[in-house]
Amino acid sequence: MPLYELGMVVSTDLETEEREAFLAEIRQLLTAGGATFVKEDVWGKRTLAYQIGHKREGYYVFWQYEAPGAVIKPLEYKLKLSDQVHRFLNLNLDNELRRSRKLSKKRAERARKKPAVAQGPSGAGSRVEES
Amino acid sequence: MKPSKKKYFVKRKKVCKFTVEGIDYIDYKDVDLLRQYTPVSGKILPRRVTGTSPIYQRKLTRAIKRARQMALLAFVGD
Repeated sequence: MPLYELGMVVSTDLETEEREAFLAEIRQLLTAGGATFVKEDVWGKRTLAYQIGHKREGYYVFWQYEAPGAVIKPLEYKLKLSDQVHRFLNLNLDNELRRSRKLSKKRAERARKKPAVAQGPSGAGSRVEES
Repeated sequence: MKPSKKKYFVKRKKVCKFTVEGIDYIDYKDVDLLRQYTPVSGKILPRRVTGTSPIYQRKLTRAIKRARQMALLAFVGD
């Protein structure tokens, strides 16, 4: 299952309970589709960089979850229709991180191959520090 | 002979921050990082100015545009 990241800007007009109920509803939609949550990052109330629908503030929520692809369409449909969400962005992190994972793997491999060569200059450096 | 003024002008070498620091993925949520590449006008600085490598400039552009969409960065400055 691919890893997704969902960012939402929820309206601040809602009461805390209303907002929690709404978020729980979306969480329910995801878990019902077989999603497992990896990380939940709540920024809370934050000033928007520009007004959206005459609103100056938004409640920022970021979720990372693993879910089968079939869940995404109904989720985005629901968020699009909802009045409580100003903006949302759902990213497939597996696609996004493909290159960075590849690079870090390459870097690790290079580090594994290199240590014999790398010891030379680092050893010289430590000698300089001692003197 | 009078030395020319040009002789004393030292050009600062531009470096790609992402290559040097090994930042592989530019996250749109990292607003402080993205702000370094958007002046007050809100425009995206060209790599001719910042020295970012082409690969990371493309990633940076995408991240800034996503951040704008989420109202983390402004489309137009003050």
